[in-house]
Amino acid sequence: MESNLKYLDPQTLARLQGLELRARSIVEGYVSGVHRSPYHGFSIEFAEHREYSPGDDLRYVDWKVFGKTDKIYLKQYEEETNLVSYLLLDTSESMRYQSAAAPMSKLEYAQCIAGSLAYLILQQQDSVGMVTFDNEIRALVRPSSNPSHLKQLLHIMENTVAERKTQTGPIFHELAERLKRRGLVVILSDLFDDVHGMMAGLKHLRHRRHDVVVFHVLDPAELDFPFRQTTMFRGMEQMPDVLTDPRALRRAYLEEFHKFLQAVNKGCRGQYIDYVQLRTDQSLEIALSSYLAHRMHRVK
Amino acid sequence: MNLATPLVAFGFGNLLMLGWLAAAAAPILIHLWNKRKYREVPWAAIEYLLAAMRKNSRRMRLEQWSLLAVRTLIIVLLVLAVAQPFLEQAGFSFSPDGRTLKVLVVDGSFSMGYKPTDKSRFDRAKQWAAQIVDESSQGDAFALVLMASPPRVIVGSPAAEPEDFQDELENLALPHGGADLPATLTEVEKILNTAGDGGWSRADVYFLTDLGRNTWLPDLKDDGQQKHAQRLAGLAQRASLIVVDLGQDGAENLAVTELTTSEPFATTAREVSFTAQVRNFGVQPRNQHLVEFHVDGRRVKETYIDVPAGEQASVAMAHRFDTPGDHVVELRLGPDLLDVDNHRWRSVGVKQQLRVLCVNGKPSSVPMSGATDYLALALNPEADQIGTTSVVQPEVILESALLERDLMDYDCVFLCNVAQFTASEARVLESVLRRGGGLVFFLGDQVLADRYNRELGGEQGVRVLPARLGDVISEAQYRYFDPLGYQHPLLRAFEGREQSGLLTTPVYKYFNLELEPESRARVALAFEGGEPAIVEESIHAGRCVLVATDGSLSSVDPATGNPWTTMPAWPSFVPIVQEILALAVHGQMSERNLEVGQTLGESLPAMSTRASVDVTAPDGTQTEIRMTLDPGASYWSYGDTQTSGVYAVDLQEPVGRQEAFAVNVNPAESDLTRLPSDELPKEFVTHRHENLDDADLPSIGQRSGLHKLLLYGVLGLLFLESLLAWRFSGPAV
Repeated sequence: MESNLKYLDPQTLARLQGLELRARSIVEGYVSGVHRSPYHGFSIEFAEHREYSPGDDLRYVDWKVFGKTDKIYLKQYEEETNLVSYLLLDTSESMRYQSAAAPMSKLEYAQCIAGSLAYLILQQQDSVGMVTFDNEIRALVRPSSNPSHLKQLLHIMENTVAERKTQTGPIFHELAERLKRRGLVVILSDLFDDVHGMMAGLKHLRHRRHDVVVFHVLDPAELDFPFRQTTMFRGMEQMPDVLTDPRALRRAYLEEFHKFLQAVNKGCRGQYIDYVQLRTDQSLEIALSSYLAHRMHRVK
Repeated sequence: MNLATPLVAFGFGNLLMLGWLAAAAAPILIHLWNKRKYREVPWAAIEYLLAAMRKNSRRMRLEQWSLLAVRTLIIVLLVLAVAQPFLEQAGFSFSPDGRTLKVLVVDGSFSMGYKPTDKSRFDRAKQWAAQIVDESSQGDAFALVLMASPPRVIVGSPAAEPEDFQDELENLALPHGGADLPATLTEVEKILNTAGDGGWSRADVYFLTDLGRNTWLPDLKDDGQQKHAQRLAGLAQRASLIVVDLGQDGAENLAVTELTTSEPFATTAREVSFTAQVRNFGVQPRNQHLVEFHVDGRRVKETYIDVPAGEQASVAMAHRFDTPGDHVVELRLGPDLLDVDNHRWRSVGVKQQLRVLCVNGKPSSVPMSGATDYLALALNPEADQIGTTSVVQPEVILESALLERDLMDYDCVFLCNVAQFTASEARVLESVLRRGGGLVFFLGDQVLADRYNRELGGEQGVRVLPARLGDVISEAQYRYFDPLGYQHPLLRAFEGREQSGLLTTPVYKYFNLELEPESRARVALAFEGGEPAIVEESIHAGRCVLVATDGSLSSVDPATGNPWTTMPAWPSFVPIVQEILALAVHGQMSERNLEVGQTLGESLPAMSTRASVDVTAPDGTQTEIRMTLDPGASYWSYGDTQTSGVYAVDLQEPVGRQEAFAVNVNPAESDLTRLPSDELPKEFVTHRHENLDDADLPSIGQRSGLHKLLLYGVLGLLFLESLLAWRFSGPAV
C-alpha cells in the first residue's frame, strides 16, 4: 500500500467527508471557514488599538493616532482563521505491541487515525501540526494548512522507530510551553505511564487554553487478558519479565487495569478533556466518526 | 480362605486397582510441567500485571494449592471407587479376584410373620435377600439358611447361579416355630468350612431378622453362653457378620398362649372344660377383642374379652362331646398383625369309657383280700349305683393272663403286687407306654425287686420303671407321707384338705425306690424320712407311676402281722387312685397335642403288613407314609410339622382309624420384644431400614454403598473443581 493510502483509508475518508470538525471552545480568529476565534490577527477587519510595548512590530503602528495624540498605539484586527490542530503521537516501545487477535499494532492504529485526521483537517483548509514523542520529543512539525503538508506528516510517521520508554508528563509540560498558538491537541497514546505526572502535563496544556482530545489506544488483549496457559510475559520499555498462570491472575490484572483506566478517565473529565478509548480491533472509521459526531454535538 | 488378624476396618474388593492411586500425582506433575514449559509473549501492560501479582501472590498460591488438592482428590476417590471398597467388621485379607461368599440367614421364627403392611417381615427378608444377590458381583456365590428351630440349610453348597438361588429363595416358606441361633451359627460354620477352599476372598454372613429378643438372647447355661460367645468370635474372624434389622419397635400382639382342659381324659359321659389364656404382648390395652371357640371347625362360642397391656386374660368353655374319637377344639382370636398365634388347637381323644386293666398279682378268694380289690373299687366307686354312667371301666385279670390280653385296648394298666415279669411281658408293657398309655405299679410282698430291675429297669433293654427297686424297708413304727409341699400335680387336689387323710396314712413296709442321678423321674409323694413313696416319669409317649408300697391289704409283714399299709382303707385312697389314673393317662391327651417341630407318631400293636398312613397337613398337602414294623410293635412318625394347625391322620387298614393331631406354636415367640441393636454382640454390624413401604430397598451391600458414595464424592468434586476454576480465573473471556 502506498504511504498515503496506508493512512488514508478511502472508506474512512468517505465517512468523514460530510462531517465538520468543530472546535469545542473558542479558537483564535476567523481566517476561513466557520471557526470563531478570540485571537487577534492581521487581516480583514480592524478591531481595536493597544499601547505599544518594546519589541512590537513597528509595521502595525497606527501612525495617524500617533500624529494626533503623540502616543504610539498598535492596530489590532479581527480575523477569520484556520483551526490549528496538533497531533501528538506516542511512539514509545509499548505502542508496538500487537496481540494475535489484533489486526495491527497500537502504533499502526494510532498512525491511521493521525493520518485520517490530518487529511480531514487539511481538506477543511485548517492547519495541522504533529509531534512524535516517547521519553522526549522526537519530531515536531509546525502547523500548516498547505495540502502538501500532509506528505511531510506521513513521512514523519512512517519513519518513526518505537523502541524507547514513555514519559508523557514532562513531554506534555514541554509542549504546553512550546505550542504557542492555542488549538486542538489530539493525543494518540496507550498512556502507559505514571498517571499523576501525565495528568499534570495535560493540566498544563489545558492551562494554556488548548482544547485536548485523548485517543487512548489499547490492544484487545490488554483489555481482555485472554491468555490460558502458563506464559512468560516479556516486559517492554525496560520492565521485568513475569512468569505466571494467567488464568489465576486474570481477575486481579483486570482489576488493576480497570483502576488505571478509571484514573485516566476521571483525570480527563476533571480537566474537560475528551477521552476516547479505542481498541485496535475496532474499525477506524467507527472510532473516528463516533467521536466526531459526539464532538460536533457538544460544540453546537 | 486366607485369614488374618481382626484389625482391618476397611477393605477393597479389587486391590489391583489401587495401583492407579499413583495417577493422583498427575495434577501435581502437570502443574510442575506447566511451570517449566510455557509460551512467551511481549507485554506492554506489564506494570499492571506486576501490581496484580504483588497483591495476589498469596491468594494465587492458595488457589493453586486448593485446585491441585481437589484434582488430586478426584483421582484418589475415583480409584478408590473402582477398587470396590467395603467396610470390614473382622479382619480379612483379600485375594485379588475379589470373589465373595455370601451366606444369607433368614430368620424363620414365626414373629417374622408380623405384617405391618401388605408384606410381612419374612416377605421383606426374602426381598432383601434377593436384592443382595442381585447386587452382588459376578463370581460371588451364595448359601441360604433358614434360622428356624432346628435350622434348615436350604442351599448348603455355595451356589454361583443367582437364578437357581433366587428360585430357592422364592419357595422359602415361613415355619411356625422359633429360631435356634446357636444351632444356626453351627450350620453357618459348617458352610464356611465346606466352602473354605473355594478361593473366596472374603465371606459375608447376612442375618435378615426382626432381632427378637427370645431369638437373639438364647437362654443358655453359663457354659453355653461362653461357648456361644466363642463361636461368634470365631465366626467373626472368618466372615463379616451383618444384621439386617427388619423389626419394628413397639409392635403390638395378642396371642393365645394356652388351651387346656382340666380333665385328664374326656368321655362322652360328661362335659369337658376348656380354659384358654390370651396374652397381650403389646403396650396398649386391648378391649372387647373377639374370641371364638370352635369344635371340629364349628363355632360353638363367641365372646369378647379385655386384655390389659402386658397381661393375660382367661376365657373358658365347657363342651360335651357326643361321639367318641378324636375331636379338635380351637380358640380363635380376632385378627391382628401377627396371625400365626391367633389360633390354638387342642386335640381331644374322646372315649366312651376309660378302660383300665388291673393285673392281680396276689389273688384271694376272700373278699377284699386280693391285690386289686380295693383298687378296682377305687377306680369305679360308683359301680354299684344304678343309673350312673361309669367313666372308668376297670377289668381285673390274673398276672398269668397278661399276655393273653391286647393291652392296646386299655388306656391304663395297673399292676398290683405282681411278683415278676418275663421279657415278653416287659415288651408288652413297654408298648403301652409307646402308644401313650399309662402304667401304674403297686408293689407288695410278692414283688421280686431284682427281677423288676432286670426286666423292667432297663438292664435287658426295656425300661418302664421310673426308679430302681431297692431294699424293703420295714418299720416297727409306721410312717406317714410327706406331700413335699404339694408341688406335684398329683397332690394338688389334696392341698388344704388335710381331712382327706393322706398325711395320716400309716405305712409300715415299703420298697426303697432309688432314682438314678440323671433321672427325669419326679417324686410326687415321699415318706417322712424322705424316701420316695410315689415316683412318676414320662417314658416314651406314656407315663409310668410307681408306688413304693401295696395298694391293698394283702401284703402282710410276717414279723409284725401288720399289713404293709392301711392306705386302701383310708379315705384318701379313692382320690389318690383317681389322681394316679389321671396322671397316667394324661399322656394320651398330650401325645396328640404337640408344638411346631415336634414329631407326630404313635406305636401300634405289631402287624404283619406295613400299613399306610395318610397325613394331611394344615395347608392341605397330603403325605403318605408307611408303618415301621418291629417285632413288638409297629410305629409311624411324621416330622414335617413346621406349620401350626390340625394334622389329620388316616390310618389305613388293618388299623382303620382316623386321628387328629394339634400342632401349636410356642407362645414364647409371640413376645415381639426386640433386642436393641446396640445390645448385639460387637461382632455384628447392624443395618436397619424402617420404612417398609419403600418399593426400592436401599442397598446394603457395603461394597456397593461405599462405591456409590465415592462416586458421588467424585461428582461433587468435579463440580467444585469447575466452580473453583471458574471463580479463580475471573469472568469469562
